[in-house]
Amino acid sequence: MTRTAQPWRRRHVLAGLAGALSAGFAATSRAAPSGKPVRVGSTLSLTGPLAPTAIIHKISGEIAVEMINKRNGFLGRPVEWLLLDDQSKPEVARSLYEKLITVDKVDLITGPYATAPILAAMGVAQRYQKFYVQNSMGIPKHLTYEMAFPATPFGSEPDKTFPKVLLDAMASTATPPKSIAILTSKFPSAQFMALGTREVAKERGLNVALYLEYEFGTRDFGAMAARVKDANADFLWVGSLGLDSNLLLEALKKLDYAPKRHFHLYPAPGPLALSPDGDLALSSTFLEPAPPFLDRPDVPELAKEYKERATKANVPYTELDAQGAGMYSQWQILEQAVNGAKSLDDKAIAQWLKKNGATTIYGKLRFDGPFNHGDPAQLVKQVQNKKWVVVWPTAFAPPGVKLIAP
Amino acid sequence: MTAHRAISGAGIGLAVCLLALLPLAGLPAFYDSFLYIVFYWISLATSWAILSGFGGYFSFGHAAFFGAGMYTTATLSVKFGVPFLVTLPAAAAVAASLAVGVGAIVFRLKRLRGELFALLTLAVSFILATIILNTPIDGGAGILTSSVPLPHIMPSPSQTIYLLGMLMCVGTLALAYIVAHSRLGLGLYAIHDDEDVAEVKGVPTFRYKLAAFAISAAIAGAVGGVHATYVGFLTVSETFGITVPLYVVLMSVLGGARHWLGPAVGAALIAASLYTFTSGDQAMIGRGLVALVLIVAILILPDGIVPSFLRWRARWTAQRATAPLPPVEAPQPAATPSGGDRPANAQDSGIDRPVALAIRDARKSFGGLQALRGVTLDIHEGEILGLVGPNGSGKTTLINVITGHFPLSSGEIRLGGAPIQALPAHEIARRGVARTYQIPRPFMHLSVLDNVAMAAAFGSADHGRAASIEEARRWLDFTGLRAKESALPAELNLHERKFLELARALSAEPQLLLLDEVLSGLNPTEIDHAIALIRQIRDRGTTIVFVEHLMRAVVELSDRIAVLNEGTLFALGEPGSVMRDPRVVSVYLGKAHAA
Amino acid sequence: MPSFTLLGQSLVSGVLVGGLYGLVALGLSLSWGLLRLVNLAHFAFAFLGAYLVYQMGTSWHLSPWWAVLLIVPLFFALGVVQHAIFLYFRVVELTSLLVTFGISVIIESALQWIWTADFRRFETPYASVSLKIGAMYVPVVELIGCIAAAGLAWATWAWLRWTYVGKALRATAEDPEIAVAFGVNQRFLSFLLSGVCAAYAGIAGAFIALISTLAPSQIWAWLGVVFAVVIIGRLGNPLGALIAGMLIGAAESVAMATFSPAWAPVVSFSALIVLLLWQPDWL
Repeated sequence: MTRTAQPWRRRHVLAGLAGALSAGFAATSRAAPSGKPVRVGSTLSLTGPLAPTAIIHKISGEIAVEMINKRNGFLGRPVEWLLLDDQSKPEVARSLYEKLITVDKVDLITGPYATAPILAAMGVAQRYQKFYVQNSMGIPKHLTYEMAFPATPFGSEPDKTFPKVLLDAMASTATPPKSIAILTSKFPSAQFMALGTREVAKERGLNVALYLEYEFGTRDFGAMAARVKDANADFLWVGSLGLDSNLLLEALKKLDYAPKRHFHLYPAPGPLALSPDGDLALSSTFLEPAPPFLDRPDVPELAKEYKERATKANVPYTELDAQGAGMYSQWQILEQAVNGAKSLDDKAIAQWLKKNGATTIYGKLRFDGPFNHGDPAQLVKQVQNKKWVVVWPTAFAPPGVKLIAP
Repeated sequence: MTAHRAISGAGIGLAVCLLALLPLAGLPAFYDSFLYIVFYWISLATSWAILSGFGGYFSFGHAAFFGAGMYTTATLSVKFGVPFLVTLPAAAAVAASLAVGVGAIVFRLKRLRGELFALLTLAVSFILATIILNTPIDGGAGILTSSVPLPHIMPSPSQTIYLLGMLMCVGTLALAYIVAHSRLGLGLYAIHDDEDVAEVKGVPTFRYKLAAFAISAAIAGAVGGVHATYVGFLTVSETFGITVPLYVVLMSVLGGARHWLGPAVGAALIAASLYTFTSGDQAMIGRGLVALVLIVAILILPDGIVPSFLRWRARWTAQRATAPLPPVEAPQPAATPSGGDRPANAQDSGIDRPVALAIRDARKSFGGLQALRGVTLDIHEGEILGLVGPNGSGKTTLINVITGHFPLSSGEIRLGGAPIQALPAHEIARRGVARTYQIPRPFMHLSVLDNVAMAAAFGSADHGRAASIEEARRWLDFTGLRAKESALPAELNLHERKFLELARALSAEPQLLLLDEVLSGLNPTEIDHAIALIRQIRDRGTTIVFVEHLMRAVVELSDRIAVLNEGTLFALGEPGSVMRDPRVVSVYLGKAHAA
Repeated sequence: MPSFTLLGQSLVSGVLVGGLYGLVALGLSLSWGLLRLVNLAHFAFAFLGAYLVYQMGTSWHLSPWWAVLLIVPLFFALGVVQHAIFLYFRVVELTSLLVTFGISVIIESALQWIWTADFRRFETPYASVSLKIGAMYVPVVELIGCIAAAGLAWATWAWLRWTYVGKALRATAEDPEIAVAFGVNQRFLSFLLSGVCAAYAGIAGAFIALISTLAPSQIWAWLGVVFAVVIIGRLGNPLGALIAGMLIGAAESVAMATFSPAWAPVVSFSALIVLLLWQPDWL
């Protein structure tokens, strides 16, 4: 069992002392939490096809729990995270959430990763009227449960809002694109954004030179690359997951074609940044471990700690990314809502959160819009010198960094 | 007997009721959902085994039927607001019609067995997945089913789903039990071992395969329907992925795919093992450990858990009580096992008796090769016709066209006046034609008794299960194989296998018996024994055509001899005159002696 | 209307990807056809090989071509050991499915244990180098993979057809008892073949590392299409596996280029079904 609190408990006095000394990072920092632990249960897809991302969530979640325990825990009690493996199967996720709630009798739950497990677990949360916060659901309209909250500021209609942000960024360049080629995986959340982007692009008078959907899990990008080259649009938008983008860019390069500008929706960030073809690739994010985000509380510690543990876990890309940040935000929301409501009662927690919102590493979040979503805060990032940097909106770009548009 | 059955029936009913009420016992709700998953896999694996385990048609596309059911329920309930329970029969129906559609084409083609059938079903599931993915049925966005209202059968929705899963599972197991113990099951087991022989023994193979496929798919469809609400959100890649087709195979193999309970045992074990190691730190090691246990289990029990257990139990009881076989009626070769009212005509040459089988200008060609070039021959009731000729003269082909194994290229064959050349082989068998094979082709996974009982069940007499076993025992007595009735054919020697062939043909109670070289490979004493048996069969009134190279037996037994040469009827008449015919001597005997 | 260049280009890339399918299918087809063992672990072996090539390449900077030289004998031994277990326990066709599934899961867990579940990508300088022939671009690594597949398939075919060992193997597959009666040492042959099949998995793995992406669960991603390739190519027929792989690859690729990529499986698998129903003599 993953009782992340256990190693902590052994030296909690020391850590609590350290926490008290570094009083800067949390207002609630007081004495070390004590008493019966508050048990929080969740699953992640630690094995199976979704496992590549789950490990990021696990590392970040463990850091979050330790940092919460360094502060005041939940209601002054230490937090214990009961993490189970849903094997990337939604039906297993569903039954494991029932196990967490009815057998392990955890006090609180948090959500898993990826659309299908999130929705499977949400059904359970709804049946047991549990407060439910998750961080990676890209289709807000599916979050129909009144106590389901997002930890990542997608906004309630990211398919309408984010394309505008992205195309604004493009329009700000010296030579705004006149045509766009859209290529997307038929993965629900990617396709959802691709369709939205196509609409916004049309509204803005861009010529949609190519719109292609490919099966999730496609390995052969040769033919699609040939079509992308054929269409030769000013801007290539790829609704990719995992390593789709790497494979597509390589396939394009094999045809001696480099897309003028290219955006990738949910790529594995490390491999794309490090790939020789990934230079100047654009993607979406909510936070990167760089200024101005390093001014936000917790971000420097999180980024440093994440890097250390990711290196230790032998994960190839050790920079904190939007996935890891989302998981941290998720725990921060839980922490603030529980301590704010001064209760472990799910309804009280949800009410408090809906009314007060929360301040996480993503900034001030509100939950009073449709599907409990607040304002969108999705940003555009770019690979520059093999590192991801935020480039748009410019207020979030590190000093001296600009969107580079060849 | 009936009281015993009533008691066990009541016991099962009570157990099912208790199982149905289990969620009300106050266990944590997790167990509802855990048990649901177990039920779900049991139903799926068992449904797969009805065609693929029993009938040996190995499907790698079970996801197609499961997925068809899932998407039927999801589409009907989410997009059209059809009440959930109504969608389940629809899901079953859609899946079953898909199976019937596929089967109606595929099962007509003899070459599409084994791995080609696996490939075809795999292709069907890929195509179905792609169609659903690219049409408004799903379109790629997935279908959210968690808001589908469930009927309030039980206090909570998860209890309702538990109940539905349990009923589905109990129903599936009951169906599998019924199929396994029915004519359909017996026919499927025979198809599994040797489809051609099954058809010739009277099994309507096409219809049986289609029925099994439809039942299998219908269950998978209904299970998919329930599962659609369980998962709450459907995506094509999840539904049509490799998990379902792979796991049903593994579960069935682990438990024993040919036994009705085998897949259930395998499914329960594997499904439960999914939950043995779920905690975050052990996930990887746990998975490896479960896999290791799986490997060890199948290495120790290669036939699957249930068959291995049954064999072990049989050995154990056999050791405990070495009771003799149930009293055997003394072998009375002369006694007529049944149909004793037929007159015996041992001395009758038979020419003036009515024609049993009339062959008119029968022609059969394979590609360019003409195996039969117009054979016209009348075979009279109660006669023994010896069919001789050099190798390749068309003797076995003639038997194959009479039994319907090969269709005639042209010509006519009448059995008792009715044309049969256009009938399927099983129909000809049911009209009273039985044959033996030169190289015995017993059903290798059926016991000696079941081999014979199966032929009795599907032969002309149309026996029920009990009657066909009784009939089979009589013929095992008759051929002296009774002591080996529970052996598998592999344990028999050649002589015994030949007699098994004979017993299997006889138990069908044929009017016309076609014997293909029953004597070859036997020693002189065994030949004498066999000749005596054939005489006794004829004395019951059965018409016999026998192909034989051994001239002593031919002359001794035949009323008439027909000589085939190069696909034509070369000579026909009483043994004495035919054997003296110089043409026959030169063409046939000369060659035979030289050979 | 797609241009001629587009069609030609997609045909080229489809055939090359199909060559990789054929390469992965080769060992599977041989062990299934000639030993009647369905080796699901073939995919896991291939990925194990791929990870080893990746590791040797990234930490020792060993070129994949040298890495393959190490992998071939190693995997040959692995195949022999696996076959020793199969023989000892008298594993047959159906049970082999279950046993090799178990082996795959264990290898998958081991891969995840060592290399984590995160995606790995083997970056090499020549990964995206192409030759330009007329208007067509031919990617070099895929081309080498395809040539390797063709070479191995042809050599295996010739081995089976012309040498004593090959003939004995085929005879054993047809009728083990008679082959033994003719003095064929079945045990030796089956060990040899298992070793060869596993070595082929290792070679295929090297190309997977160069061309595709690595994640432990990717083991299962190749199952469907490679099974189709193995069966279409006829079990135990090395050239068949290669040709079938290229046909499927080309059909999918052209379908992707001419209409929607997401519809591509319908085209190739409908063609497959028609082929099965039509039953031409060569199938």
